[in-house]
Amino acid sequence: MDAINPWLDPSEVRHLAEQLLRPVAPARISSVDPGFDSSFVGFTETGNLHSTAAAPAPTSEKIPANRETESPTPKSQIQPVAAESMVPAKVVPAESPPKESPEPTPASPSQTRFKERIHIFRDWLAKNFNARDIFILDREGKVIFDESGHGRFHFMARNFALASRGSSNIHVKIGPSSVLEVIPCETPYGRIVLGTLVPESLPPGHVQTIIEVLIQTASPG
Amino acid sequence: MISIAISSQKGGVGKTTLAINLAHAFARAGHNTLLVDTDPQGSVGLSLTRQSRLLPGFYDFLADPGIPMERLIVPTRLETFSLVAAGQASDYEASDGSSGSHLARIRTFLRNASSRNYDICLMDTAAGLFGVTNDIIAASDALVIPQQAEPLGIRSVPKLLIGLNRLRIINPRLNVLGVCLTLLQRDLAESTEAASALRELLPEEMLFKTFVPRDDIFVRASAKGLPVGVLEGSEGAQIVFDSIRSEIESKLARARRQQSFQAQ
Repeated sequence: MDAINPWLDPSEVRHLAEQLLRPVAPARISSVDPGFDSSFVGFTETGNLHSTAAAPAPTSEKIPANRETESPTPKSQIQPVAAESMVPAKVVPAESPPKESPEPTPASPSQTRFKERIHIFRDWLAKNFNARDIFILDREGKVIFDESGHGRFHFMARNFALASRGSSNIHVKIGPSSVLEVIPCETPYGRIVLGTLVPESLPPGHVQTIIEVLIQTASPG
Repeated sequence: MISIAISSQKGGVGKTTLAINLAHAFARAGHNTLLVDTDPQGSVGLSLTRQSRLLPGFYDFLADPGIPMERLIVPTRLETFSLVAAGQASDYEASDGSSGSHLARIRTFLRNASSRNYDICLMDTAAGLFGVTNDIIAASDALVIPQQAEPLGIRSVPKLLIGLNRLRIINPRLNVLGVCLTLLQRDLAESTEAASALRELLPEEMLFKTFVPRDDIFVRASAKGLPVGVLEGSEGAQIVFDSIRSEIESKLARARRQQSFQAQ
């Protein structure tokens, strides 16, 4: 079978085929979400989906649900959350105590620099690509920056990024002039996932530019 | 109504032949069957009706969902067999490749077909998993994958499976009925070896037991604009598609049993 076997990985093919045969719990389609018009067809509920991508992903419930009360800043301003999760565990100094306390702690200089870089990136993305509702997930699927307020976007992006198995971007039209663009990106801290709403799907050249800028943004200063 | 997409990663694998003859087999078995040509090339229409280049069809509905289904559905001499051509708007179909652009309208199309008491809606798609084909699979109940028994075709299988796993996130209820080997040439070592390789690669239930052989009768049927089942001397070919139909019915029945078991 020299004409075939050297060209593919039999165990991978079998694994992918078995995933397809595995029954998936029927998805419940939600009613129209706030912010979308009637052409929106709904999200798959996180509780019912036995994803073929088998994501050990945290659900959107882990995102602070009521950020308006936690932050004095207006809702329209950028609200990065848990920027410290961008730093992988192995680079945290050994003497640092585990952050179990829910009380806010002052941001370290490096965190501040990261926040600043993300703000700059966010503004650049919004200005050049008409991007809005920007969010970034870390290598574990946790939200490290979010201005969308839609936990389900995070869930979708997480699953699309896992299913893509590569570095290519994925876009899903969710309204007449709204496309959810999901861009997985390999950085020095592992794979992060950028999600944003854009009026039209982004051409490959723009995606490549965004990836390059995001890598710079996420790299240690 | 059960909607079944017939899709493949590669072109030229006998997708339209399978779609036409499978639809004919369902219709002969008494199922009210609608065959929809969703390939902008319009091969189903070109195979079965001389007026296909004038008929409104599937892509016209995507462009204007206000078009009544009655204008799209073309009856045939077999009462239980109707078809919808690709239509005229397919000439201008230039999908940007993004998934979801047509999903809502395809679902509306299927709801409209279901309300007209069709039992089966078979959708012959364009090759490749992108654009409209993606949305058709995302809206369908089930999927059949024709796969030509030749080495290059088999090498494309991983890409196809990755794409389908991605689509199952959008459509978790998609029942992947399996891969159906087509254009098998028993007198050609490369073809039979490719078939054997696929049998070794895939789980048994993922591969249809019945395969479609390469046969001159398909060319003759295409020349006459007919399903092979209506040609003289086509009994062998008819058995092939009846057998595939029977396998599909068994797979659908098994899926229904699993679903009702899970619901309990």
